[in-house]
This record gives sequence, C-alpha cells and structure tokens, in this order.
Amino acid sequence: MLVGVGVAALVVALVLGVGVGTVAIDPGDTLRILGHRFLGLDIPKTWSDATETIVVDLRLPRVLTAMLVGCALGVAGATFQGLLRNPLADPYVLGTASGAALGAAIAVIIPVRFVILEFGLIQAFAFVGALAAITAVYKLSRIGGLSPLTSLLLTGYAVGSLLAAGLAMAMYVSGAALRQIFNYLLGSFDAATWPRFLATLPIIMIASVLIMLRARSLNGLLLGEQAAAHLGIDVRRERRILLALASLVTAAAVAISGLIGFIGLVVPHVVRLIVGPSARLVLPLSAIGGAALLAYADILARLAGGIPVGVVTAIIGAPFFLLILRRARTGYEV
Amino acid sequence: MTEPIVELDWVTVAYRDRVVLSDVTLSIAAGERVALIGPNGAGKSTLLSAMTGLLRPVSGRIRLAGTPVESLDRLDVARRMAVVPGAANLPFATRVEEVVALGRLPHEDPLRGARPADKAAIAAAIERVGVGQLMGRDARELSLGERQLVLIALAVAQSAQVLVLDEPTVHLDLRHQVGAMELLVDLNERDGTTVIAVLHDLSLAAHFFPRLVLLDAGRVAADGPAQDVLTPDRIRDVFGVDSSFVRLPATAPV
Amino acid sequence: MSPSPSRSARRRGTPAAQLAAFLSVLVLMLVACSGGTASVAPSASPVALASPTAAPTATPAPSPSPTTIPAFPKTLTDDQGTAVSLKAEPKKIVSLTPASTEILFALGAGPRVVATTDFDDYPPAAVALPHVASYTSVDVEKIVGLGTDLVIAGGNSFNDPAAIAKLRDVGVPVLVVYAPDTKGVLKDIELIGQAVGLPAAATDMTTKMQAGFDAVSSATAGLTKPKTFYELDTSTGTIYTLADDSFSAEMVTLAGGAPITTGSKTDFSIPLEKLIAANPELILLGDGAYGVTAAQVKARPGWKVMTAVKNGAIKPVNDLIITRPGPRLVEGLRELAMAIHPDLVLPSAVPIPPVP
Repeated sequence: MLVGVGVAALVVALVLGVGVGTVAIDPGDTLRILGHRFLGLDIPKTWSDATETIVVDLRLPRVLTAMLVGCALGVAGATFQGLLRNPLADPYVLGTASGAALGAAIAVIIPVRFVILEFGLIQAFAFVGALAAITAVYKLSRIGGLSPLTSLLLTGYAVGSLLAAGLAMAMYVSGAALRQIFNYLLGSFDAATWPRFLATLPIIMIASVLIMLRARSLNGLLLGEQAAAHLGIDVRRERRILLALASLVTAAAVAISGLIGFIGLVVPHVVRLIVGPSARLVLPLSAIGGAALLAYADILARLAGGIPVGVVTAIIGAPFFLLILRRARTGYEV
Repeated sequence: MTEPIVELDWVTVAYRDRVVLSDVTLSIAAGERVALIGPNGAGKSTLLSAMTGLLRPVSGRIRLAGTPVESLDRLDVARRMAVVPGAANLPFATRVEEVVALGRLPHEDPLRGARPADKAAIAAAIERVGVGQLMGRDARELSLGERQLVLIALAVAQSAQVLVLDEPTVHLDLRHQVGAMELLVDLNERDGTTVIAVLHDLSLAAHFFPRLVLLDAGRVAADGPAQDVLTPDRIRDVFGVDSSFVRLPATAPV
Repeated sequence: MSPSPSRSARRRGTPAAQLAAFLSVLVLMLVACSGGTASVAPSASPVALASPTAAPTATPAPSPSPTTIPAFPKTLTDDQGTAVSLKAEPKKIVSLTPASTEILFALGAGPRVVATTDFDDYPPAAVALPHVASYTSVDVEKIVGLGTDLVIAGGNSFNDPAAIAKLRDVGVPVLVVYAPDTKGVLKDIELIGQAVGLPAAATDMTTKMQAGFDAVSSATAGLTKPKTFYELDTSTGTIYTLADDSFSAEMVTLAGGAPITTGSKTDFSIPLEKLIAANPELILLGDGAYGVTAAQVKARPGWKVMTAVKNGAIKPVNDLIITRPGPRLVEGLRELAMAIHPDLVLPSAVPIPPVP
C-alpha cells in the first residue's frame, strides 16, 4: 500500500516536473507531447518544435535523472546506515563525495576536451574518483587492529579529508573554471541528458536490486556483527558485497548529479519511522522516497529561480537531521 | 547411545600467535545444562566462538550432532545453535517483537521474510520467555534486565536445539539474574533445550547448573557437578581466592 | 576579457556622459560626412601622425558585391575549435556576452538578436531585450523556447560550458568566442560576421579597427612608457590587476604604457608588496566607475610610497570600453592612450560602427 502511495507520488512528480520551467508551457500541451512521443498516441500536433524539445529533451531527462539519483541515494544511504550500524551515516561517509569531487575538479582543470561515449569528462572522472576513493578506504581500513566498522569509518574520514585537501588545491589552481567545480559541488540536474540517464539507469537499478535481495544480511547486522554471524550471516562476505554495491550506486549517482546531500541521510530514517528497521521494507521504500523527494526538490529549486538543488535538500533535510539526532539518544548505550 | 550434541576433541585455538585454548576436550549431550566458568581470560568466550564455528581451531575437531562444524554453512549452524547476543547495541529504534523476529533469520524466506510459521514461532517465543507485556516498545528503552529477556526470546525464536549464552547476567540486578536463570532451567527441563552458559558468578552457576566446566588458562581444569569442581583448593588455584563451599538446603532460594 | 571575480559580481552601469559624448561625436561625423564615402580625412597634425598607413583615406566605402555563391549553409570553426554548422542565415540570435552583443548590433544584426544577458549594458536596445543568462547560469530552456538558431557564447568558462554543451545537444548552434588579444577580437568580429551573414560589414569594421589600433600604437611608439598599474578591483581586500600576456596588458602596451602584471597568466591578483616593489608611475582606475577615487587611493596604507601616488598620477578610466573585446575597443584604446600620455594627439577617430 505504501508502495502504491510512493509510486503515485512519483507519477505526480513526473508530470509536475515536466510541466514546470522557465518557459511557460500549456499543461495540456505537455501531456499531449508526452502522450504523443511515449505512448504513441495519435495526437495532432498543436505545439511548436521548440516546445517539444523543451519538454522531451530538456525537462524529461532532468526529472527522470532526479528520480534516479534520489533512488540511488535513498538505497545507498539505507545500506550504509545498516552496514555501518550508524544512524548518522550517509552515502558519502566513506570518502565517495571527496573522491568524486576531486575527480570532477581534475576533469575541469585538465586541458583535455573530449566526451566519453556522450557521457562527459566530468561525469566519468567523478565516477572513477568516487570508486577509487572507496576502494582506497576499504583497502586501508584492513590494516590495523581496530574493529572493521570503526576502521572503515575512521579511514573514510581520513581519506575524505585528504581528498578534500586535493580538491581545495584543484579549486585554487582552477582559475576561470572555478565556477564549474563549484556547480558540481553544489549538485544540480542542469547537465542531465538522455544518454547520461540511460547509461546510469542500468547501473543504479541493477545494483539497487542486488542490494535489496540481500536485505536479510542487513537485518542480521542490526544487533552487531557477532550476532549476525550467529544468525547465519557470512558477515565478511556480505559486508564486502554490500559495500561494493552501495558504493557503485553512490558513485553513479554523484557522477551525474554532483554532491546532493541529506537525501541519503534523511529518507531512510523517515521510512524507518513509518515501517520499522527491517531492510526488506526500508530499502525499496527509501528508493521510492528518495526518488520522489529529489524530484520535488528539483521542482522547488527550479520554481525558486534555479537555485542549486543541493540547497533545497539542505533546507528540507537539516531540520529533519536535527530531529533524528534528538531521537537517536539511546542508540549507544550498552 | 545418542552422540553428543556438542563435542570438542583436543581443540587448540590460537589468536594471533597467542594460544587461547589448548587441548580442550568436551562432550555435551542433548538436554544437558552446562555452565562454563573460569577467571577472566581463561578462554570461555573463545570456547563459545569455536563451538559455533566462528573461530577455526588450529588443531582438534569440533562436531555439532556428529557433523564437523566446518562442514556446516553458517545458516546450518544457526539453525542448530542459538547464541544469545551479549549487549544489544541497536542503531535504530526497534520494537521488541522486531528484535525477537531476528531470531527467525536462519529459517525465514531470504526474499520474502517471515512466513506464518515464522510469525508463530516469534509469538511463541515471546510468550515462552514472558516478555509479552513489552511488545510495541522500543527495545533501546528497556531496562537491562528486560533487554536480556528479549534477547533470550530472540534465541528461543531461533528454534535451535542448543541455546548458548555468553555472560547473560553481567549487568543484571539480583532479581533479574535469578529470573534469567530460572528461565534457562525452565527451557532446559520443559523443552529439552540444551543450555550452555558462560557465567562469571560461581554461586549462580553452582545453584542452577548441574554440570560445571572450569576453564583455566585455556585448559579444562575440571568438569563435573559443582561440589566436585568448586573445591576450595581448586578455587584458590584458579581464582586466587580463599573460599568455602556452603551447601544450602535444596528448597532455599539463592 | 578580464574575469576578475568580484568585478563580475557588480552591475555595470553605463556612464550616461560617455554615451552622450559618443552620440554627439557620431552626430558631428554625420554632419561632417557627405553621404557616400565612409572615410574621414585625417586632421592635419603632422607631429602625431607617424605612418601613412594610419590614414584611412584610401579605403572606399565597402559595397557588398552581389554574390551568387549562397552564404548558407556553412560550417564555421569557433575559438575552441568546434565545428559549428549553420543551416541557414540565423534569424533569432542570442548573445551571451556583452561584447558579442555590441558586435552584433554594430554589424547591423541587432534586429535579429532576441535575447541577451542580465549584465548587458550597451547598446540601449540590447538592454531592453529579454535576459537568458546571469553571471552564474544560462537558461537553456528559455533559449530553446525562443526558437533560437544561433547562440554566441564566451569561452574560457565565461559562460557555463555545461550549458553550451546542453544547447548543442538539443540542436542549437553555439559559437564560442574568446579573444586573448586584440587580434583575437578582430578575428571574432569576422567570425560573428560570417555566422550572421554579414561578412562584408565585419571586414569593414575590422579594417577600421585595425587602422585605429595602428594609429594609436604608432602615435605612442617613440614615447617613454610609464610603468602603469591598471586597477581592476580592490574592494575585497585583494588587489586585482592584469595578468601576464592578457588582453588588457596588450592594450596598455599598445597605448604606450608598460603594464605591471601579476606574474602569472591565470592569476589576476597581485600582493601589495609586489606592487610597491614595481613602483607604478601611473595608476589607472578601471574601477573608477564604481566609486573609487584618487583620494581614496592616496589614503590607502602603504600606497603613498608609490611614485604615481606621490605625483598624483591617478586617473579613472572607462573600464567597459577598454576591457570589453568589442567594437568600441578602439575608442577604449584611444582613451587609454590619452590617459597614459595626456599630451598625445591622435588622428580623429573613425566611427565604429560605420554610420549607415
């Protein structure tokens, strides 16, 4: 039933998202264009080419990308929170954000100019940067005698700080291109195109489904790694697989949208408030919830005059975050 | 003669070049109630981890109901042996029944979750352990004693033949200690569950467990009924404390 | 182009007096010229004139020869090396840089310009047009919605490269221009002229502009070049001036000054110590239009040790025409030259755009 509500919210977001923009387009025309292009309906063309381009080539990929990224962040956030057993974890906690940002910054400042399969240099570098960062964090966290979770978190923080320093350096030498790096950091869907959406869709969808199939492992981890092992979970293997999948999803998301915060942190918590902590429910509902939330955030961002969507998610998310902190009071007692 | 439900033969466990258990031989029959006692660092928890297959011994064999434990996959072990978690450290608000439901993890459908049989087992476990009045509450807000009972319910829901507990009474007040012990006795005598408990409290062990296994520096120092195991000499040797064994009338409370 | 950070954040007001002066010169020229030739005889000041090539007398009015070769479709290569195909002569042009706007209007394509940016300020007809870009972003949707068939954008990240890519993705031709020096400006004018189907007007303009540049540079050729500090902005506490090899540094050199530059090609800031060590003999206030006065400069701590400050050689200049790579650049160069060499006598300016 909740899924139904979520899907309905998504459909509304889609229609609204495509209908809203700086150019006023008759809502009827919007629907007719969608019907004509995607449902194959035989509708006499009462709109201009420009209008159709705006709806189909500019707005539609944008809305769909927002949903895709929101879905990815929701799933990744829920997964990291469960894996790391930390309610304050978000998809970026293990260095993916800094890695992606540094990758994007490097792409902006190097004097090379080419497009990888229409994907874009910034996007490709950001993707690689994110994955490289988390791989480094994972490998480095194996050294030392700390418990795996603590080690991961601390290494993630250390590597993230290092990469952030690299990013600061890159921004310093970037000169005129600083604005581009900044745009990436704030996160936006201005660069959403059909090829990027279609390239990222399978990665995020398949990886998310694979995570959802492993909901049992995430549930087992609720009481800790030892308890999970005693309940039959191969903790080491599951941790590795879930970490890899969640990182992949996050890397793909930040590659096409930049760093959009709070979705991965807040959506899983809101979902848990409604349905409890079982990953079987939290994962799919976080996917839908994240998609809807980000789609609406983007609509708001556009209505507010084109402010970066990361600002909107921060405004919505920060109060929620404080609320979560207040509720998390008994999380760490023995 | 049925084979033992848990059997260790000359098991040596080393942890980063430090030998924690050496040549431990132990045989526990189905339906027994055994307490593992010993000073800190004697290897009690390690013994439990070896028993459940979490730690691999460098030598010796460990068998669960005749099957070598390394040949069983984790889920198999979980279906045969339920370990009551020590301290519950929940990152998210989790209701009591959701905690108990975790016990069905080894049995439930991996994709769809709890089936009616699982739900029945959960309800039965809650009833059996007597935490029904706590249902609906956030497990993080329970008292330590209540939380311990919920965790025992989780293990009961696992429907395993063997119930293993690692220091279940550490943070409990006297009333809850006794309550937990009486529950274990009940589970053992009425349901036939084999109970293996690591305890630090010798009085509790002596009073509630017919068989004590005393570990000292990784070896089994004694194995048998309380009055045989807990002699003043042995206690002085192992624990470094002078003591006297006082036998209370059978009907007296602890 | 001078991408000084805080500078770009301010609104550029058009000094009304400048406009009035320009218009009155235009009117005078109109009166002085007899219809037909667009050339103006150089006033007789033999001292200032150095080379005969500076005299534009020989240039007849360019009459576009009727050509049977169709101008469109054509493919042009923009300043970033991208091939831009134009199927037909653009009818709806969007300009994303103030310089391009000025060029378009000067070439006569003004009526075809449908939108400009928030920060366009010249000519007045352009200011009234709808805005599709701000300092930080470009509204791709709006541009597409207008049925645009040509966009002229600024290179070197002046306009968001992602927006440029987006426009190209949806089939709108975008010509990216970037002029690193005065030659580049002329090249861009030719390029834009080609793009809008007015090549002859463009060639005419660039010829006149080159002549104008030449007139100034030869007039200042033999003069001693004072060490000139061109102040872009100091409002944030950092001193912004000309970068090495930059467009504006070339302008100062052509105008007969020795520009003090930052020492880097990409960094526009200079530490105060370095400036003091360089000891400018002349300070030109590019930020004069924003209220910076000579008195303020004199009062700045540490500045009074500079020769320029001691001698009171601090002058505001019209930054817009000096740093904007557009048709008014010659005028800017002339003003710059007069600021550096007040006694300089230059031949009369050829009006650009040419009077129709």
